[in-house]
Amino acid sequence: MYQYDVIDREFLTDRSNEFRHQVARRLAGELTEDQFKPLRLMNGLYLQLHAYMLRVAIPYGSLNARQARRLAWIARTYDKGYGHMTTRQNIQFNWVKLKDTPDILDALAEVDLHAIQTSGNCIRNVTADPYAGATAEEIDDPRVWSEVLRQWSTLHPEFSFLPRKFKIAITGALSDRAAVKVHDIGLILRHGREGQIGFEVIVGGGQGRTPYVGPTIKPFLPAERLLSYVEAVLRVYNRHGRRDNIYKARIKILVAALGAEEFGRQVDEEWGKISAERADLPAAELARVRAAFAQTKFETLPARSESFEAARALSPALQRFARNNVKPHKQSGYAIVEVSLKAIGQTPGDATADQLEVAADLAERYSLDDLRVTHAQNLVLPHVRLDDLPVVHAMLEKHGLATANIDLASDIIACPGLDYCALANARAIPIAQDIARKFADPDRAEKIGELKIKISGCINACGHHHVAHIGILGVDKKGEEFYQLSLGGSGAEDASIGKILGPGLSADKVAPAIESLVEAYLAIRTGEERFLDTYRRVGLEPFKEAVYAQAD
Amino acid sequence: MKVLTANRLIDGDVVFWKAGRWVEGFGEAELFDEAHEADAEAAVAKGKTQATTVIDAYLIDVAQVEGGLAPVSYRERIRALGPTNEPTHGKQAVGGEVIEALRHAHGAARSTGRVDLIRRK
Amino acid sequence: MPRLIRLAGATAQWAEDGFTHVADEEAIPEGDVILSLARFQAEGEILLSNSRRVGVRIESDQEVEALAYDLPRLAVVALAFPKYRDGRAYTSARLLRERLGFTGEVRAVGDVLQEQAGFMVRCGFDAFEPNDGATPEAWTKAAHRFRHVYQRAADDRLVAFEERGV
Repeated sequence: MYQYDVIDREFLTDRSNEFRHQVARRLAGELTEDQFKPLRLMNGLYLQLHAYMLRVAIPYGSLNARQARRLAWIARTYDKGYGHMTTRQNIQFNWVKLKDTPDILDALAEVDLHAIQTSGNCIRNVTADPYAGATAEEIDDPRVWSEVLRQWSTLHPEFSFLPRKFKIAITGALSDRAAVKVHDIGLILRHGREGQIGFEVIVGGGQGRTPYVGPTIKPFLPAERLLSYVEAVLRVYNRHGRRDNIYKARIKILVAALGAEEFGRQVDEEWGKISAERADLPAAELARVRAAFAQTKFETLPARSESFEAARALSPALQRFARNNVKPHKQSGYAIVEVSLKAIGQTPGDATADQLEVAADLAERYSLDDLRVTHAQNLVLPHVRLDDLPVVHAMLEKHGLATANIDLASDIIACPGLDYCALANARAIPIAQDIARKFADPDRAEKIGELKIKISGCINACGHHHVAHIGILGVDKKGEEFYQLSLGGSGAEDASIGKILGPGLSADKVAPAIESLVEAYLAIRTGEERFLDTYRRVGLEPFKEAVYAQAD
Repeated sequence: MKVLTANRLIDGDVVFWKAGRWVEGFGEAELFDEAHEADAEAAVAKGKTQATTVIDAYLIDVAQVEGGLAPVSYRERIRALGPTNEPTHGKQAVGGEVIEALRHAHGAARSTGRVDLIRRK
Repeated sequence: MPRLIRLAGATAQWAEDGFTHVADEEAIPEGDVILSLARFQAEGEILLSNSRRVGVRIESDQEVEALAYDLPRLAVVALAFPKYRDGRAYTSARLLRERLGFTGEVRAVGDVLQEQAGFMVRCGFDAFEPNDGATPEAWTKAAHRFRHVYQRAADDRLVAFEERGV
């Protein structure tokens, strides 16, 4: 993993001191709330319904054990003992006090963590494939490029007051676990004709009020030109993105208005005027960053672990866990282990301080001190020896972290919704809990297979409902919570935006409706077809009938 | 009926206006009925001057429900209680009649009353 | 009227402002003036020829490239921040310095707060009309709050990777 040096650390100290100064000025009345709000937002501090919420950046979703333990300590000391993983691989604390935030930022900085640019109209925390450096299908390690972008975008003097927020995601694998096609910039690492490394550049995807699957504006960008090209994209956006209407200010609106071809032409024209020598990263610095991620010390192990095979033959629970939560690793004798934060009936994506510490211990002892957060609000132990799977599974089980439901119906993405969020119109968490209880039977859940249900409590779509196989959007209808279902979305490599099924449902009708959708799917699916495939084959009608015929 | 609410600057906690000061419990809040709208507006004006104490003072509608009073909107009920997924977090932790009335409030002006705020079994 | 702060090396100082901002409907006074782009395009030639210094105010939705041929004759380009959240002037300043080679004064006017000082200085601004009452001391401090920077801009600060000596 990348190690911060004295420069990175002094930078965080300066940032923390700056915010301490600003908080003091606010409390003394020298700054009004209107002046202070953007400053606190640039440090990830929101005022929510019950308290302040602090969003801590987890760059490209990657933590070491020491950092995870510090997050646990913060949860216990300054919060109510838990944190919430977000769809942008960050962690949020729900019960923070303004007066404590400078101390929290200091405590984070001690372990090379911060909350820089986790909000505001700037370049946000860069997200990446949580299997980076572990999956065999990877063309190049996206963490290298994420770290390069993290540094470049940090307090960027030209791009800190953009028309609207700006989110970048990177995948190095063909399976897209970073939802790159629904980001402001999505980067897919590709091989060029001569085997050189580059990016397919997608610009103008997004969710929210106006969802788009982003178009590709550059099929192949040589990797070493990344920074100058991104600078060109941002400059065109900064100059020409709309600033008159907050709902039309994201880059997706500009790209859609100009057309992808014209937007790409303007970017190329600007790119041509930028000096590569000044704007692109020197090869030596790139090599330094790359080396930091290349130091993973794998052992040479056989592809098959006899002890793991023996253990799983005896344990149906381990067998089920292996089927659903254990993924192939590039290194012989290793596996990627998904740790579900979606135990049936729990708040999706929440981890208690104890659970964070367990994850930290496991990462340290069994995963080369590496822990990841996924955009699906789960954790990943990326480098577990097959021999260690039984003990890792047993530890996870002991702490309520072994739910074997990755990508199944109960692995639901949910934003905090109206239980916490000042922007929400309806609750998301209780709906997720209701649905998960319907699919608590693990045999049935496996029979249903991959089913991505995602819930947002408002149109901002933090719960990614547009790109869910079954999406659920909470709305306020005359003071009551209502929920609009949509089908057929995907945030993966086969990205698509879901289509609305029909009229909204009251809260108590949502879980039964999901049940009806699943029953309809099971009745008409052929072979191993996923819910999404069946929907794509048959369309909305049979599902509409299943939900609304019954509701009358 | 209306109640004046805000979030406290220093910790973000939800507070309610009571005769010139801010209190933490919805049950303690001062009620402004229709005959006292001018008093309510005066309290809002006073609240807005307290920029180093509270953020964003505003009036909310409350209504009589079974067992007591409750804000009309879901959002304000949740602010008065705490998150419904964590029944021991926030103001609801103290329990008691006011909290129970808030939790099971229905039938208020803007709600159809079909769904209790807390639907947990 | 906000007082003018100007950078002298690393330090910000109060500065005598010899320029008058002239609104489009006002008559042009004696002495050095800062005009809108439209007014400059209409009357600039005459003003420049009667031996006074001229500056142009560029609004955030105008492109500094419009001045490309006139820059050598201009003393000041004033870039407007209608709201501090409107970040287009940062791009304008960098283009003036890095692409168009402007060596005169680049002045920040409008909603100019000390919180922006670091960003502005890095993008090439060297004069400021703060509207938050910031003093030169506060401005200097705000501009130098960070010991390190991570990306090249219009200034000559060493970037983190240069400091690292790789």
